[in-house]
Amino acid sequence: MSYLFAAYAVFWALTFLFVFSIASRQKRLEREVDALRRALARENRPPVEKTDAS
Amino acid sequence: MHFLNKVLAIVWKDVVAELRTKELFSSMFVFALLMIVIFSFSFDLRVERVAEVAPGVLWVTFAFAGTLELNRSLATEVEGARLDGLLLAPMERSTIYFGKMLGNLVFILAIEALMLPIFSAVFDLNLLQPGLLLTVVLGTIGFAAVGTLLSTMAVNTRAREVLLPVLLFPIILPVVLSAVKITAGMLDGQAWIDMAPWLRLLIGFDIIFATVCYMTFDYVVQG
Amino acid sequence: MKAGSRWVDLLSGLSVAMIIAALYLVFLYAPREATMGDVQRIFYFHVSSAWVGFFAFFVTLLAGIGYLRTGERRWDVLGFSSAEIGVTFTAMAVMSGSMWAKPTWNSWWPWRQEPRLVLVTILLLIYLAYFMLRTFVEEAEQRARFAAVYGIVAFASVPLTFMSIRWWQRLHPVVFDRQGAGLTRPMLLTFLFCLLSFTVLYTTLLLHRTRLANLADEVNELAQRLHSGWGGRT
Repeated sequence: MSYLFAAYAVFWALTFLFVFSIASRQKRLEREVDALRRALARENRPPVEKTDAS
Repeated sequence: MHFLNKVLAIVWKDVVAELRTKELFSSMFVFALLMIVIFSFSFDLRVERVAEVAPGVLWVTFAFAGTLELNRSLATEVEGARLDGLLLAPMERSTIYFGKMLGNLVFILAIEALMLPIFSAVFDLNLLQPGLLLTVVLGTIGFAAVGTLLSTMAVNTRAREVLLPVLLFPIILPVVLSAVKITAGMLDGQAWIDMAPWLRLLIGFDIIFATVCYMTFDYVVQG
Repeated sequence: MKAGSRWVDLLSGLSVAMIIAALYLVFLYAPREATMGDVQRIFYFHVSSAWVGFFAFFVTLLAGIGYLRTGERRWDVLGFSSAEIGVTFTAMAVMSGSMWAKPTWNSWWPWRQEPRLVLVTILLLIYLAYFMLRTFVEEAEQRARFAAVYGIVAFASVPLTFMSIRWWQRLHPVVFDRQGAGLTRPMLLTFLFCLLSFTVLYTTLLLHRTRLANLADEVNELAQRLHSGWGGRT
């Protein structure tokens, strides 16, 4: 009987591990995307507007 | 030039280069000898009937020696940039695959031919039976077929030599398993007829692996 | 993008609901097996996770063929995303199989009685090697190409490995078949439902994983634009 629970514990543990790893990577990447976007915007605001105007 | 002539030309080039230096051959041979001695010591203490472990020991030794050969053969190609020359030559890349595979096959078989008598003496078994020799050839064909493809891949990675056994061993398992099985059957004195379906299986593995590796080799060397 | 993420949310909810329903069926609906007792309930999730493993690696094979044909990045993303899920689920199958074997045959590693477990373990090793290969190739295009080739050769060896293991154990007859004929109707129903819900779970995870990979690509692209100094449109 304890084997049964151990086996199902394995399923849960691995599934959650995988889901959490995806979720945490996703969070980190989203933060990175935001940071990069902002950095890009800061760096390029003047030239971008210039090209838009022309 | 015909397909076969081109293939043989590649094999011949490798053989000539090796005959000049003999470094590959000597290092493989010493390595294989070491393996046999280590195995004979480690089993001598406990195993009562050597014939029971001999097939496994034989094929493990072959697999390790074969891996060494694959690594060396391609490493020399890459260092000397001979592979680039080959790729520039006006021939199909898949022809190069068969050339390299045959070259590897010849070298590994030569090492195995040297090892079998020594193995027979150390383990006190008659390994030089025609059926067993056929098994060795068939098993080595499968090994060389997959090994040529994967070693070409491995030398182009950062890990180089380290990666090859990791990639190769799990994939080559069916060939090694059936070869060990046939070897065991023959050492136990089973009739040819009983072994026939196994041999057919091994031949089938060789054909499938050679075909798949031949078809994908193009993608490994391109670019 | 918006509609796509809506689908993902919907699928995520569906797979959670289905897994809970599957758990209910496994523990409360399915009858107790006569010879093995409650331990047999491992069977449902065990076989389902092994199935997802096989299926995921098959998808990796297809993605490999797709990549070699077209050279499109999305096939590579599909291939390694699927392989990653496959590794997770085969690891599950191996561990739960081992936990099932212990009370059944009194050994953690029943390699003579249960060739299928050996096969799944070898699958796991092969695809761990697949990821090692990926980490050791730096250039993205080459990495995708090598991984595609390895995925194809690897999957070609799967049926061969199965055959050779089967032959190997022919000399040691199977004591009794663990699944096979012994399934009653409710058991079969539970089993099929588990298979289905695991497949849905696989699809959901695959969608999330590919989305993650695309996000990572986006980060790389943005970082590159930032470093190249000319941040505007290209």
